[in-house]
Amino acid sequence: MIGSVLRIWPIATNTLREAIRNKLLYALLFFGVLVIGASVLIASLSYVEGERIIQDIGLAAMQLFSVGIAIFVGIGLIHGEVERRTVYTILSKSITRSEFLLGKYLGLLLTVWLQLVLMAVAFAGVSAAAGASLSVTHVVAVLGIAMELAVVVAVATLFSTFTTPMLAAFFALGVYCIGHLTRDLNALGGQADDPVVRGLAQGIYRVLPDLDSFNFSLYAVHGWALAPNDVLWPMLYAVGYVLALLFMATYIFRVRDLK
Amino acid sequence: MKRGGQEGAMRELANERIKVEGLVKDFRPGLGLRSRRVLNEVSFSVREGEIYGFVGPNGAGKTTTLKILMGLIRPTAGQATILGHPVSESRFRQEVGFLPENPYFYSFLTAREILDFYARLSGISAADRKPKIAALLRDVGLEHAADARLKTFSKGMLQRVGIAQALIHDPSVVFLDEPMSGLDPIGRKEIRDIILKLRADGRTVFMNTHILTDVEMICDRVAIIVKGHIRYEGPIADLLRGDDMDSDVVLTRLPSDLGIRLQERYGSRVKGMGERIEVRVPDKDVNSLLTASLGAGAEVVSVTRNRHSLEHAFLSAVREGTASYPNEQKEMEKNP
Ligand SMILES: Nc1ncnc2c1ncn2[C@@H]1O[C@H](COP(=O)(O)OP(=O)(O)OP(=O)(O)O)[C@@H](O)[C@H]1O
Ligand SMILES: [Mg+2]
Repeated sequence: MIGSVLRIWPIATNTLREAIRNKLLYALLFFGVLVIGASVLIASLSYVEGERIIQDIGLAAMQLFSVGIAIFVGIGLIHGEVERRTVYTILSKSITRSEFLLGKYLGLLLTVWLQLVLMAVAFAGVSAAAGASLSVTHVVAVLGIAMELAVVVAVATLFSTFTTPMLAAFFALGVYCIGHLTRDLNALGGQADDPVVRGLAQGIYRVLPDLDSFNFSLYAVHGWALAPNDVLWPMLYAVGYVLALLFMATYIFRVRDLK
Repeated sequence: MKRGGQEGAMRELANERIKVEGLVKDFRPGLGLRSRRVLNEVSFSVREGEIYGFVGPNGAGKTTTLKILMGLIRPTAGQATILGHPVSESRFRQEVGFLPENPYFYSFLTAREILDFYARLSGISAADRKPKIAALLRDVGLEHAADARLKTFSKGMLQRVGIAQALIHDPSVVFLDEPMSGLDPIGRKEIRDIILKLRADGRTVFMNTHILTDVEMICDRVAIIVKGHIRYEGPIADLLRGDDMDSDVVLTRLPSDLGIRLQERYGSRVKGMGERIEVRVPDKDVNSLLTASLGAGAEVVSVTRNRHSLEHAFLSAVREGTASYPNEQKEMEKNP
């Protein structure tokens, strides 16, 4: 167990070191912060509820750009290592393929969480400057984004174990989009008369991640109250979902040939 | 191969470090395409403390065999063990070092950093890492470039990094895929010395190569693989002692009647006439030729065994292999 951690950690830190050299990541971070800042301008066009607009836009920007980073860095995560053959020497050491994959996942997750923290600081700065209120619920909203990122990075990692970055991006974006629509789909399907349609909508809802369950921005922006369970359940859901994805990813990565 | 009785066979078994039995690997070039057999019933074994040369022409299946041994790809059939462990396991790799063909590393790290990374993966404590890495960098001749990023390294320098990482955890079995590739003559000598030192320390070395002079210089035993079939396995000495070997004998003051008899027997293999003649004879004839010549009052100037022996053995193995399995691919396609 300790041995595993000792092997996973250098992979994770090295992944982080490599990821923060990625220029795309800085571009996305830059635009994320830019949009958070620009929210002040947009809010000034409106006569009412300027602070809410600032925070709505700010939280949405954080979510969108950090997911963008997660997907675009994550899709090449495993594929790149196999393609460049850096795995040959790494896996010839006593590290298992699963440990390697977990290290890569962890490293990328740390990278995107780091970006999220940077954007959250920018968000807090802009909110404070505009006189918008900040509360614990705002922290929870950021935490929600962090949970969503954990799921999205796991999705990208999974696809990266068996397909090219192009296809992995396509699949991961698909999962992300449907993941945000799945509640609506389920609700819509539930109204259908045809039991097949109802079952299908239910099935999609169960299988694909329900990413809206991690969205607390409305609570933060409107100052609505949150019960501990409102956060705890989504958190458990995220952990379970990530574990399931990583389980599949390690299985695929373990059985495949590394040519 | 002849073995020295049952007792000898038992001793060999106990000392086996690498054992490969009936390895088969089929590659499918793409979805829906027919598979191609790249390894065909490959078997060999490597004993403790020897340098084992795995020799064959390009595309023979050397790297594929090594990838199977390293657990990177799975065999279609057959078994392989290292130190008694099936190659699909990971833990015993603590005891194994690997230099891949044309190694590639994270190019944003320096030589020292990448070695530190591999040392951590191998579970070497922080206190031991620093001196170990410094010593290895010296051994492979990279002291001057220790803190330069790998993306600035030449092919030969990367090869040296590759050798250093293969040895970082003091493995008892070391696998090297083309260890001399990309190295200048001095570098090759240095690497040869490193390999010889590994053997002197009691480690086992398995190396893929097609540089025969290196094999002749350092290997104890070899396997020759051609088109995925093992054509020879055993000590180099046996390979060179083949019955079809020739020697060049140079004689002077040979009585003319003996000269004529030689000409009758060996024909165009006799060069020169009268005072000094040179004749190329099979090894097994050398003794009788010398006895007859000396008896007749001739003088022996020199007897030279042909030196391209390994090359000769290699080339004939490749020729035979190519002749035996020319239609491998077609046969496979008929019954995939
Ligand atoms: N991933 C792969 N997919 C399909 N065919 C492959 C693959 N890898 C290797 N081959 C084929 O297997 C055969 C053996 O390749 P291998 O790399 O083992 O040769 P080698 O003996 O190492 O040659 P070299 O001396 O050139 O390094 C070649 O014909 C090659 O085309
Ligand atoms: Mg090769």
